[in-house]
Amino acid sequence: MTRQERRILLNNIIMFLSSAAAIAGMLFLFWIIGVLIYKGFTALNLDIFTYDMAPPGREESGLRNALVGQLMLVLGASLIGVPIGVLAGTYLSEYGGKKGRLARLIRDISDIMMSTPSIVIGAFIYALLVEPFGHFSGWAGIAALAVMMVPIVLRTTDDMLQLVPGSLREAAIALGAPKYKMILQVVYRGAKTGMLTGILLSIARIAGETAPLLFTSFSNNFFSTDLNQPIASLTVTMFNYATSPYDDWINQGWAAALILALFVLGANIIGRIIIRTKKGDR
Amino acid sequence: MLKKTIAALAASIITASAANISGAGASFPAPVYFDWAYMYQKATGNQVNYQSIGSGGGIKQVSARTVNFGASDKPLKPKKLDRKRLYQFPAVIGSIVAAYNIPGIKDGELKIENKDLAAIFMGKIKYWDDKRITEDNPGLNLPHKEIVVCHRADGSGTTFNFSYFLAHVSEDWANNVGIGKALDWPTGLGGKGNEGVASLISQNPYSIGYVEYAYKLKNGFGAAVLQTASGKWVEAKEENFKAAAKYAKWTPAKHFYQILALQPGDNSYPIVAATFILLPREATEMNKEVVKFFDYSFKHGDEDAKKLGYIPLPEQTKEMIRSYWKEHGIY
Repeated sequence: MTRQERRILLNNIIMFLSSAAAIAGMLFLFWIIGVLIYKGFTALNLDIFTYDMAPPGREESGLRNALVGQLMLVLGASLIGVPIGVLAGTYLSEYGGKKGRLARLIRDISDIMMSTPSIVIGAFIYALLVEPFGHFSGWAGIAALAVMMVPIVLRTTDDMLQLVPGSLREAAIALGAPKYKMILQVVYRGAKTGMLTGILLSIARIAGETAPLLFTSFSNNFFSTDLNQPIASLTVTMFNYATSPYDDWINQGWAAALILALFVLGANIIGRIIIRTKKGDR
Repeated sequence: MLKKTIAALAASIITASAANISGAGASFPAPVYFDWAYMYQKATGNQVNYQSIGSGGGIKQVSARTVNFGASDKPLKPKKLDRKRLYQFPAVIGSIVAAYNIPGIKDGELKIENKDLAAIFMGKIKYWDDKRITEDNPGLNLPHKEIVVCHRADGSGTTFNFSYFLAHVSEDWANNVGIGKALDWPTGLGGKGNEGVASLISQNPYSIGYVEYAYKLKNGFGAAVLQTASGKWVEAKEENFKAAAKYAKWTPAKHFYQILALQPGDNSYPIVAATFILLPREATEMNKEVVKFFDYSFKHGDEDAKKLGYIPLPEQTKEMIRSYWKEHGIY
């Protein structure tokens, strides 16, 4: 075997292995999506959206309260997490500087927080907002999700703002704009698609979380919009239903999984479309 | 101080609707509590949100005062109740069955001696055609398959009652595994809640596990024929559960502390257990609401409980519980 042949052979082996790995990854993805769509759609019906959760074996049984609860939790967490994340990201990029000690510390801490197991955040919020107040509550669930959200939004905002060329900032300052105006009207404008994508991805990320909700927002078998009380969520319901021995609950668990997956997939796709169109503009 | 201000503020923003009760604990009675809560909400509009997190979780959460009531199949001793400042009363009686999933063997066909059941759960009987099983089942064609043991992975009152039973029929079990809500299992697969064990049994052919009878009914498992306290064969059937339950001697002064395993009598199924409700003593007003729910269920929930495979408490026990409530000013 000549040297050339050997190199071609090696090349082919590596190519085969890496393609096989890629295909295996895709295979599992499509397998999961396929099973989800098949089982989810067979379980999906109008009752899911019009009736609340019911004991196993009842006719009028759905997931309305879990859907509403999930929306409230995600919306509430976003309302708290997004502004804090965006403002903190702005501080890092515009005020803290790349090399600033405090900015570096914050970046490191947020990186650590991003990789904190979400169940730990749940336990933290339990100790902070559930035990002292004497009840599980929607607010505690919102707080747990918001805590998860802040570092994600913070980092993407920071990264996106830093992509805006320094010359644009200099031009704005040279024209006599105060710094806050420069940030709001020049830097944000230049980075807005990136920031929006980061926010959407962070929403998609927290929408699928079960662990931080297990002992914060707990769950509720009834329709409730009172955030001082335990509130149902799709994820915890899915967890409870999927591990239950009742066929109708298991089916509804699949429906919940499908709804959740479509929501997360939708948010991801919208995020990606925004990035695409931005590239097209240039 | 800050805590109180925030709480008051939050309370003033959102005015609470009708009395909403939250409870958590045992998975053993969860199916009947779900049903009772569903009926109670239809009848009164009040929501009783019960979450099945296991007896261990129920005791922990009501002790931490994060729920309005806890539920446990393991009764707490009066001393412990005083320490944790809790009231305790039984709500319904259920039975734990040795549920199996062996293709070709129907419900109630398999006989297992009580001490052999302990040996199976200790991993000492490994195959279904072990001599200790086949000699009691001459008519059955038991396969040479490995026994898949399914047990609880979380803190569980069902485990407590089951291990209490095994410890009293097998010295080996008493010395090497013991009694508790969570055990150091010598063998087997662990599931969360009665729900989890039931799913494990249905997913694994040639498996055996212990679940509340309601879970066996819903899933169509087989339940092994066991032995009474005196060694007579006894089927896992409602009349035999009832036969055991009637020996219960409730004493309100001890907060109804009572373990119902291995009652005397020729037809007494050996693993019958009451499941208990725990209330925080200081929460008088909320306790009244919780008590209203259980009072309603005592009056209207018997049929539901029976349908699911539970044994409702006898009328005189219910009266005893009502006077217990009255005595503590929550009825």
